[in-house]
Amino acid sequence: MSNLPGSDLLNGDRDVVMSCRVRLARNVAGFPFVGRATHPQRREVLETVRAAAGPDEASVGLAGGRVGADAAERLAWIDLTSLPKRDRQLLWERHLVSKQFAEGDSPRAVAVSPDERFSLMVNEEDHVRIQVLRSGNALRNAFDAAMRVDAALGGRLDFAFHPRWGYLTACPTNVGCGIRIGVMVHLRALRVTNEIEKVKRAAKELHLAVRGFHGEGSDATGDWFQISNQRTLGVTEAGLLEEFAGRIVPAVVAYEREARRVLMERQRTLLEDRVFRGISLLRSARLLGLDEAMKQLSSVRLGACVGLLPGVSVDTLTRLTIQLQSAHLRAADPAIETEEEEKAARARTARTALGEWP
Amino acid sequence: MAAPFRPCDHCPKPAVVHNTVIVNGQMTEVHLCEDHAQAAGIQMPGQAPIHQLLGQLAQVGAARPRGPSCPECGHSFHDFKTSGLLGCAACYEAFASTVAPVIERAHGGATEHVGSAPTRADNARQRAALLQQLLRELEQAVSAEQYERAAQLRDKIKDLRPTAAAGGPEAAQ
Repeated sequence: MSNLPGSDLLNGDRDVVMSCRVRLARNVAGFPFVGRATHPQRREVLETVRAAAGPDEASVGLAGGRVGADAAERLAWIDLTSLPKRDRQLLWERHLVSKQFAEGDSPRAVAVSPDERFSLMVNEEDHVRIQVLRSGNALRNAFDAAMRVDAALGGRLDFAFHPRWGYLTACPTNVGCGIRIGVMVHLRALRVTNEIEKVKRAAKELHLAVRGFHGEGSDATGDWFQISNQRTLGVTEAGLLEEFAGRIVPAVVAYEREARRVLMERQRTLLEDRVFRGISLLRSARLLGLDEAMKQLSSVRLGACVGLLPGVSVDTLTRLTIQLQSAHLRAADPAIETEEEEKAARARTARTALGEWP
Repeated sequence: MAAPFRPCDHCPKPAVVHNTVIVNGQMTEVHLCEDHAQAAGIQMPGQAPIHQLLGQLAQVGAARPRGPSCPECGHSFHDFKTSGLLGCAACYEAFASTVAPVIERAHGGATEHVGSAPTRADNARQRAALLQQLLRELEQAVSAEQYERAAQLRDKIKDLRPTAAAGGPEAAQ
C-alpha cells in the first residue's frame, strides 16, 4: 500500500496503461494451417514446435543477459487437451491464451515462462502464436523480446513465407509482419466525460482495433480497452512499434490524463462520489458479482490514480482485476460450488486486499 | 417389432444408422454400424438433432468440391468464404485473384510485405553455437571479476541477437 500517485505511477504510464503486449503469428511450412490439419498433423506440429522452442527461456530466445538456465527459467508446457475446464479458464483470465484457444479440444498446448510474461500458443488459429506481455507501458522491451523469440524459432523452423505477402497466416488479415502490438488502457475518465466514442473514431481512422478487457469479442468491461494495430502489411515491424509507442500510446495517455484533470477541477464532487462509493462497496460488500466488482474497481482505480485514495495501491487494484475473475476465485478455494459462494469469495478477496470495513 | 438385420456398408456388424441421402443428384441409402458412423464423424442418434445428422451424412458422401479448391490441401473457395480462413500456404496462390483484394483492403491498400524475413536456419544454428560459447566466456569473465572483458562480451552477444528495433535488450541480469 505504498503507491502514492505521482511517485512511480507515471513510470511506464501505469496510471493509464495496465499492460502491453506484442504478438506474432507464424506457421510452419509444409503443414496445412491448423483449421485444415488433421489431428495427427496438429500433434506433429506441436512436437516440432516444442522441440524447436527447447526447454527454457534461453533456448526460446529470451533471458537477455543471463548465463545458463536454472529451474526458475524453465518453460511450463501445458497440454490444453488434458486440462480441466477451470484451469483453461484460468489461463484465459490471465491473458496467457485466447478464449478460442482455451475452449478447443484438438491437439494444442501453450508454453508459459515462469514469470508469465511470455507465452507460446501452438495450434491456435495459426501454428505458432508468440506472445510477450509486460505490465505498464514497456512496448519496446516487449517488442525486443518477441523479436528475439521469433529469431530463435525462425532459426530452427521454416516459417511459411511469401515474397509478396510476407509471413503467411490462416487469416489473410494477419499476413505481412504477422504482428499485433497492443496496450490495455484504463479510460475511466474519458468514459465519464463521454469522450470514448471520439477515441474509438480516431482509432478507426488510424487502422487500430479497440476491444474489451479480454480482446476479440469481449465488451469493454469496466472501462478497460485493448488498442492494437490492424495493419500488418506494407509496414515494417520497427515502423509499427515507433508509430504505436512513439505516437499512439502517448496520445491516448495524454487524452485520458487531461480528462482526469478536468474532472478533478470541474466535477470533483461527482468524481469523489463515484470513487468513495466504489471503495466503500469493495471494503464492505458480502456478495459481489463480477460485473459490479469490475465497475467499482474501475472507479477506485481512477481515484487512486488522481490522489483521492492515498494508501490504496494501484498495483493491488491491478492484481484484483485478475484475482476477482471466476476461475481464479475457484482455484484459490476449490470448495466453491455455487454462484453465491463465488460472490462471497469475491467480496472476501476484495475486502482483504483493500482493508475490511467495518 | 424388431427391425430386420442389416449389415453395415463397410463391415459385417449390424448397422445402427440408416439414412437416405442425395449425393450428386442420386438417392443413396447409407447403413453404418456404430463404429463406422463415429469414424465418419456422425454423432449417434440421441446425441444430436436429426437435421445435423442428415447434414453430416450428406457430407460423408458428397465428394464434389464447392467452387474451386486448393490443389495442395483441398480447401474449397466455399470453405474460405464461410470461415474467412485459408487452408494452407498454397491457398494464397490457388485463390490469388480473390485473396489479393481482400488483403489489400484489410491493410489500407498495401500490396507488398516490407517487414522482416525469416532467419535462415543455417546461419541461425551457427549464431546459436557462437552465442552459447560467448555466454560461457561471459560467465567466466564475471566470476573472475574481469569487468572490461565482460562488457566487451556483452556487446558481442548483443550484436549477435537480432533485434529489429531501438531500445535495449530486456534487462534480466
